[in-house]
Amino acid sequence: MNKRNTLSPLTRRGMLAFVAGVAVSTLAITTLPATAASDPGVSATEIVLGMQLPQSGAASPGYNKVDDAMRGYFDYVNSKGGIYGRKIRLEVKDDQYKAGLTVSSASSLINKDKVFAFIGSVGTQTHISVIGDINRRGIPDLFVNSGYSGFYTDPKTYPTTFGGLGTYVVESKIVGKYLKDTYPTKKIGILYQTDDFGRNALAGFTTAGLTFEAKKTAVNFIAGTQGSLGLASQLTALKTAGVEIVIIAAVASATAIAVSTAAQLGYKPEKWVVTSVGSDATTFQTILGSKGVTPAVSAGLLSGIISASHAPSPGEATDEYVVAFKKINDDFNKGPDKRWDNNVLQGMNIAYMATSALFGVGKNLTRKGLVSYIENNGSKISSAALSPLGYSRTTHEAFTSFWIGAYDGATVLKPIGGTRVLYTTDSGTGPVTVSNYVRPALPVDAIAKGA
Amino acid sequence: MKNITMRKFIATLGATALIVGGTVTLIPSANAADPVVVTTSGKLTNGAAYTMKVPARFNGTFFIWNHGFRPSFDYPGYKAPTGVEELTPFSVNRNADVTAEMLKAGYGIASYDRASTGGLHGWNTTDGVEILKDMVDTARAKYTNIKKVVVYGSSGAAPVINQFIEKYPDKADAVGLMAGLTTPSAALQSLCDYFYLLSVFADPTIKGCAAFGVAKGPAGHMAALGEFAKAGALLSAWSKDLGAKPIAYPAPLAAAGIPQRSALLLAGLIVGIPTKSAHMDGISTSAVIAEHSINATVAILENSQDALGTGTLAGQAIGEIVGAGFYDNTKTDWSALLSAADSGRFNLGLSGDDAIAGMLGVLRLVPRVKGDPAAVAKFKALDTIKYTSDKPTILLSNEADRLVFAGNSALYVDNARASYKARLAKYKAGTGTKPMWNTFAMYSLTPEIYTKFSDAGLPDLSGPVAESGVGHQSFTTAQMMGWVKLLAQSAKTGKAPSQKFVGSSIFAKIDPNLNTDPDFLPTLLKYKS
Repeated sequence: MNKRNTLSPLTRRGMLAFVAGVAVSTLAITTLPATAASDPGVSATEIVLGMQLPQSGAASPGYNKVDDAMRGYFDYVNSKGGIYGRKIRLEVKDDQYKAGLTVSSASSLINKDKVFAFIGSVGTQTHISVIGDINRRGIPDLFVNSGYSGFYTDPKTYPTTFGGLGTYVVESKIVGKYLKDTYPTKKIGILYQTDDFGRNALAGFTTAGLTFEAKKTAVNFIAGTQGSLGLASQLTALKTAGVEIVIIAAVASATAIAVSTAAQLGYKPEKWVVTSVGSDATTFQTILGSKGVTPAVSAGLLSGIISASHAPSPGEATDEYVVAFKKINDDFNKGPDKRWDNNVLQGMNIAYMATSALFGVGKNLTRKGLVSYIENNGSKISSAALSPLGYSRTTHEAFTSFWIGAYDGATVLKPIGGTRVLYTTDSGTGPVTVSNYVRPALPVDAIAKGA
Repeated sequence: MKNITMRKFIATLGATALIVGGTVTLIPSANAADPVVVTTSGKLTNGAAYTMKVPARFNGTFFIWNHGFRPSFDYPGYKAPTGVEELTPFSVNRNADVTAEMLKAGYGIASYDRASTGGLHGWNTTDGVEILKDMVDTARAKYTNIKKVVVYGSSGAAPVINQFIEKYPDKADAVGLMAGLTTPSAALQSLCDYFYLLSVFADPTIKGCAAFGVAKGPAGHMAALGEFAKAGALLSAWSKDLGAKPIAYPAPLAAAGIPQRSALLLAGLIVGIPTKSAHMDGISTSAVIAEHSINATVAILENSQDALGTGTLAGQAIGEIVGAGFYDNTKTDWSALLSAADSGRFNLGLSGDDAIAGMLGVLRLVPRVKGDPAAVAKFKALDTIKYTSDKPTILLSNEADRLVFAGNSALYVDNARASYKARLAKYKAGTGTKPMWNTFAMYSLTPEIYTKFSDAGLPDLSGPVAESGVGHQSFTTAQMMGWVKLLAQSAKTGKAPSQKFVGSSIFAKIDPNLNTDPDFLPTLLKYKS
C-alpha cells in the first residue's frame, strides 16, 4: 500500500477522540433530565437582542440610524443598572436590504450570537424572508419596522411577531378619509411600489373610499427599481391624467426621486401626500443631497408635503419624550450620524418600549413569558407615541392612531390647522374616528418599568 | 450526572481503544504503517457484480454502498455502467471517493452493481431490495467477523435502502442516506411541473412528463431525451443574455414586456429549485446582476440542467413501470405553490406584482395535463415506505442540491417523526411495541457569498464551484467521513445522535460548513407525497 494510507498515531488519536466524543455527546444528551433549559440569549447578567437592517447600500439612508439610536438608549438603561441587573446587548447585522443576507444573518444571530429576541428589524421584503423561521423557533420578534399588516393581524400565523409601526392600512385609511373629506372635488392619484407595503397602503386608501384608475391615476413601480429606472413614466402618466393630489406609498428614496423628477418634468401637483415611512425629512434630504441637490432646495421640495405620524415630530422642542430622548441620544449614541430625526426618535422609542416590556415580564425572563406579557399588557406598555398600542391576543398591531400634518419650510411636520387631531381605526373595514388617547407621562428617569 | 457521563466516557473510550488495539496486533510488523487490504470480487445470485475490501485491521463494521439511479441505456455522452461503479461515497464536484479513508479507519467496504437481472438498471427498486439483501448475506457469509453492518447510499438508492430496512430490519445496524430521495412521486411531480411551466411560458412543443413511458426501452429513452433537448435548447438560449428578452409566448404575456428570466424565476420558485447554485449565491450583485433576485434567477438557470435531467431520466424509467400518463396537473393550484415569502423576497426578479399576477393568470387559463388515473395511482404509490424502522438513520444533504432537493431530507424526518408519534401512541395504548426515535439529519451549507463577476459584471459560471453545499452528491471528504463515522458509531450503540448534537463543538469540528443549527430547515418540497 502506498504511504497515503498510513494511519499515523496522531490520526488514530484524533479518530478516537472523535468517536468517543460522539458517544459522549449522545449519552450526555439522552441522559439529560427533563427540566426546561433557560432560553438562549438571557443570563444572570445579560440579555442579547438581535436586529437586521440595511446599514449600507441603496436602501440604507436614514434607516441606518435606527440601530445606533436603539443601542444608545439601551446603553443608557445599562448605565442605570440594566433590567434587573441584566445589561442589554444589541447585536446588529447589515443585510443591505438583500433578502439572501437577511436569511443568512438571521441564522447567524440565532446560532452564533444566540439572541434572546429579534427587535426593530427594518424592511418588509427582507423581513418576510425570515419571519416564518423566527416564529417557528418561538423567538420573540419585537417591534418590526414595517407597517405591513400581514405580519400582525393574525397572531396564529406569526405568534411571536409584534409591529413597531402603525400598519400601512391604518395610516392610509386615516389619510384617505382626510383627503376624501378635505378635497372632495380634486383628482387624487397614487404612486405605489408593487410589494406588500404598496399593496397594503393601496388597500387602505381604497377602503377609505378613494378610487383610482389603473395606469392613469394609479401607477406603480417595482420596489428597488426607482433608483435605476427612475419614475418619469409613472409621473408623466399622473400628469397626463390631470392628477392634482399625488399620494406616494413608497420608501423614502422613491419619494425623493418622485418629487425631484416631477420638478424636472414641470409637473406641479397641488399636493403631495406621502406615507410616514417614506417622508422622513433627513432621509429625503440625504438622498437628494447625494444627487447634488442643496439642503435649501430639498427643504423647499419637502415643504407642504402632507404626511402622518403616530409620534411627536422630532422638531417638537417642548415634547417631554423628545427632550429626554434627544438628551439620551446626545449622551449615549455612538453612531457615525446621530443627527436627531424621525429615525432616531423611532429607534429610541422601540428601545424604550422593549425596556418597558422586559421589565414588565419580571426577573424570570423567558421567550414565552415575553410574548405573553406583551399580548396581555401591550396596550399599557409605555411609549413616546401619541397613539395607543394595539397589542393583544387577537392582533399584534402597534400604533392604531395617526395625526396628519404638513412639512414646513424648516422640514418639521406640523399639524394641519395648527391643532393636532388624533384619528384611529383598524386594519380592516372599521370606521375612522377621533381618538381621545392621552399619552402617559414620561417616567422621571425616562425608563418605563412595565405596564 | 457529570460523574455518570464521565464514567460512560471512560468506558466508551476504553472499549474503542481495545477494538483498535486488538486489530493492530493482526497487522504484520513489516507493514505496520500500511493497511493490508483483501479485495474480493464476484457475482450475486442475479449476476450483478460486487466488490468487497477488508483491511487487515478490520474493526468489525462493514459498510455496503448503494449508488444512485442510473439509466439502463447508453445515450450520447452517457454510457450505462457495467460492473461495480462506486465503492464508497463519491463526491461529484471533487471527483473523489473515500475508499482510502474508510479502509484506513478499519472499516470493511462493499459495493455492487445495482443492475437487476439482465443487466438493466433503470428504476428497479423492487428488485433492488432483494439484490441488497443478497449483498448483505454474501458479505456476512464471507466475513464471519463482521459485527455491524451499515447500509448506505446516495440519491435514488434511498428508496431501495428504506424499503430494505423495513423488510429486513435484522440485516443491518444503521442506515445512511446521502442526498437521498425520500418520495419519488413528490420529487418527480415538481420536476414534471417544471417541464410543463417551460412549455407554457416558452415552448408549447415541450410535452415533458406526458411523453415519458409512452414508449419503452431504447426508443422510449431517446424520446424522453428529446424532451430534455427541447428544454435544454430553451435554457441555453436564455442563458446567453440571462433571460433579458421579453417573453414571446403565450399571447397574453407577449405584449407585457416581462423578461424571460421572470418566467424562469417563477417556474423555479414554484418547483422549488434552489436559488443558490454552484456559482451563484443568490445574494451578490453587479452591474449586470442588479439585484439579489436576479442572482437567484441565474442560480435556477444553472441548476436547471440537472433538475430537468432527473425529470427526464428518472421520469422515463418510472413511466416504464407505472405506465404513461403518470403526470397529472389538473388540480394543481399554481398560486399556492408560490409562497408569500418568495413572492415578496423575489418581487423584483419576478418583475413585480403585475407581472406575477399576469403569469399566474395565464397558468390558470391554459390547458392542463390530464394523466391516466391508473398510472397516476401507481405513481403515487411507488416506493412508499412506512417509516417504521427503528435502526439509526443518518441523512446528509446539500443545502442547494440541484437534483435531489434538500427538502427530501426534511420530508423524511417529518414523516419519520409522524410515524414515531403514531407508534408511540399505540404503545402507550398498549397495542404496540415501544418505538425508538432514531433519525438524525445533517446538512452541508453554502458559504454566504461566493459569486464571482467579470469586470463587466457578468457572473463567472465556469470557475471553481462553491466549496460546500452545492451540487448533487458533492461533499467534502471531511463531511463524508464525518457521516461515515457517525454511522459506525450509531451502528455500535444502536442509537443515532440526538439532533441537538449538531449544535455541539464536537460536531462543528467535522467540517466548518456543516450546519450547526439543530432547528435548521432547508427549503421544503412542494409536495409531500
